[in-house]
Amino acid sequence: MRRRGRLGAAIVSVGAAAVLVPACGGVYPQEPTCGAENANVLILTAQAVPSATLVPCIAEFPSGWSYDGSRIGSGSAQFFLNSDRAGFHALEVGLTESCDVSNAVEVTAGAGAVPGVRVYEEPISLPPTFQVNRYLRFEGGCVTNQFRFTTGASATLALEAQQALSFVSRSVLVEQAKEETGLSLCGAEAPPCPG
Amino acid sequence: MVVYFLSLLIGVAFFQPLAGIFDRFDTKRLLWIANLRTESLTDVMLFVNLLASRWTIRVLRWGTIAALVGFRRWRHLVVFLGSILAAEIVAYQISILLGRSRPLGITIIAAWEGYSMPSRPLVGLAVSLVGIIYALVVPGRPREIAKWIVGGLILSLVFARLYLAVDHPTDAAFGAIMGIAIPLVAFRWYTPTDVFPVTYRGGKAAHLDVGGRRGEAIRRALQDQLGYEILQIKPVGLEGSGGSTPLRLRVAATENEPEQYLFAKLYAKSHVRADRWYKLGRSILYGALEDETPFQSVRRFVEYEDYTLRLLYDEGLPTPRPYGVVEITPEREYMIVMEFFDGAVEIGDAEIDDQGIDEGLQIVRKMWDEGLAHRDIKPANLMVRDGKVLVIDVFFVQVRPSPWRQAVDLANMMLVLAVKSDAKRVYEHALESFTEDDIAEAFAAARGVASPTQLRSMLKQDGRDLVGEFRSLAPERKQISIQRWSVRRVIRTAGVLLLALVALLVVVNNWTVFA
Repeated sequence: MRRRGRLGAAIVSVGAAAVLVPACGGVYPQEPTCGAENANVLILTAQAVPSATLVPCIAEFPSGWSYDGSRIGSGSAQFFLNSDRAGFHALEVGLTESCDVSNAVEVTAGAGAVPGVRVYEEPISLPPTFQVNRYLRFEGGCVTNQFRFTTGASATLALEAQQALSFVSRSVLVEQAKEETGLSLCGAEAPPCPG
Repeated sequence: MVVYFLSLLIGVAFFQPLAGIFDRFDTKRLLWIANLRTESLTDVMLFVNLLASRWTIRVLRWGTIAALVGFRRWRHLVVFLGSILAAEIVAYQISILLGRSRPLGITIIAAWEGYSMPSRPLVGLAVSLVGIIYALVVPGRPREIAKWIVGGLILSLVFARLYLAVDHPTDAAFGAIMGIAIPLVAFRWYTPTDVFPVTYRGGKAAHLDVGGRRGEAIRRALQDQLGYEILQIKPVGLEGSGGSTPLRLRVAATENEPEQYLFAKLYAKSHVRADRWYKLGRSILYGALEDETPFQSVRRFVEYEDYTLRLLYDEGLPTPRPYGVVEITPEREYMIVMEFFDGAVEIGDAEIDDQGIDEGLQIVRKMWDEGLAHRDIKPANLMVRDGKVLVIDVFFVQVRPSPWRQAVDLANMMLVLAVKSDAKRVYEHALESFTEDDIAEAFAAARGVASPTQLRSMLKQDGRDLVGEFRSLAPERKQISIQRWSVRRVIRTAGVLLLALVALLVVVNNWTVFA
């Protein structure tokens, strides 16, 4: 009986895992690199938020930071960055059509500012556990950078992480899709699509 | 179709212009369908698209798992889960490899997630529904009807997703075909209907259905090969038999014999596989206690049983008279035919007197003297007819066994007899044929797995500590360990652990599928 019980428990556990398999989910490993020749992940991100005129991408990694996958679906797209000092998913970058900045304050974008992008910051907690939401609003979209550092990690790492991030203009992706497939990347910066 | 999709995959993955051609082809088809868009039809299509929702698929999967656990259909459950895992992992990996965007050049009007090829919602629904057909629906007309219903549901979902422009036509087709093909192949391979039929009449998986075409084949084969006309085929003693399908055959009178019953055991490839796994399991759990070499074919399987049956019968042991082997399907199914002990009852249901105890013990004595061991002495294999003890199921008989194996036979026989009487009485009778040392060694050897499962559960039900009683009656003897270590055992164990680890790594590596 005991053996049967164990077998049953094992089967039910595997069953639970199988059932948890979503029919349409998953994290994708392709990096949304700015200016990449293969822009599939950026095009998919643009499709997720058709109104967004800018699409977030990774320009270059500061030392100690690494990419940990994207989750892209209609309405939103996120990607995650890990840091050897700030921890697992220390930064989550999300693109949506809009974002709530009622609890945030507008700040100057500083060096490397992208024209047309307004920046807001919403501190969640200060060091030793640094947690901040940084909103970048632009026409048709909003990028939310969620910094969630492990306790003791320096807040200056956020400046490092920001260096990794940039934008690619949707018009560039529209052009790229047109060149590769002859088809239109529907949404902002493109002619209206049928249907 | 498979070749088409494989070449498509390779072409699209490694030759970018080809991807563009497919995109344009697909979008053209989507635009045709988009011309049909109306507000009310869109509402209908969004409703149909709910078939692909996570909750629909979860409910289908949980429901199936609960049903399979409820019906204790473990093999179907494992294949069902395996199909789902395989399909989801393969679909996820292909979607990453291809990295195909959602349809371009057309407005998408439903929610989506991730890359589009293959359509993972279609894979998820198709693998679940086809799994349900093969795991839960009875073969024949009900399954045929279920196939049409499932086909209709999948086609409806394909059309809905094309109408909503969330998938390209090739994504949807590829997803549907993959979701159908994986469980179809898995169920047909691991749970063939003729060996593991889905029924709701109870019975063990090892027991083959003997109706229909197989029944006809059995009748024809017995007539052609042994010259007996079968009047009736009836499965018997299924509860005591896990390794074959035992049958009682009523055969017509011949020139030399009256109408009579014959006993037959039907073996198929699945029994050979089960024996192989059973022996592998034993050799890992206990080491090579005895000969654990598996049989390589069904033919060898029945040839061996026929040999042991004839050997014991020739030696004068009270075993059934052998009639021979019948080939039902070459290399796939064979049947061994022997005398049917008409009127005999299992020893567990019979009254045992002193003569019965002596006869049981004499069977073991005779086998010791002839250099044989039965290796499966349990109540289901000991019959009583007119007070005479008979022994059946000689498949495990070993020639020139180890003294340990012979000692275990003695202990098991004494335990069976003691359940029907008492330990002291059986012990005293045993001293007429065996020495105190023999009995002491028997109970030093009879530990755990050495006794068949049925005997162990019978002892448990009985409640008396019969093993302890026998040990206290016999001279004291140090217990014999049943653990045997060897290089082969270590290698086999390491091999199985390695395979399990690889399987685990495959799941862990694809954990993002579950996230």
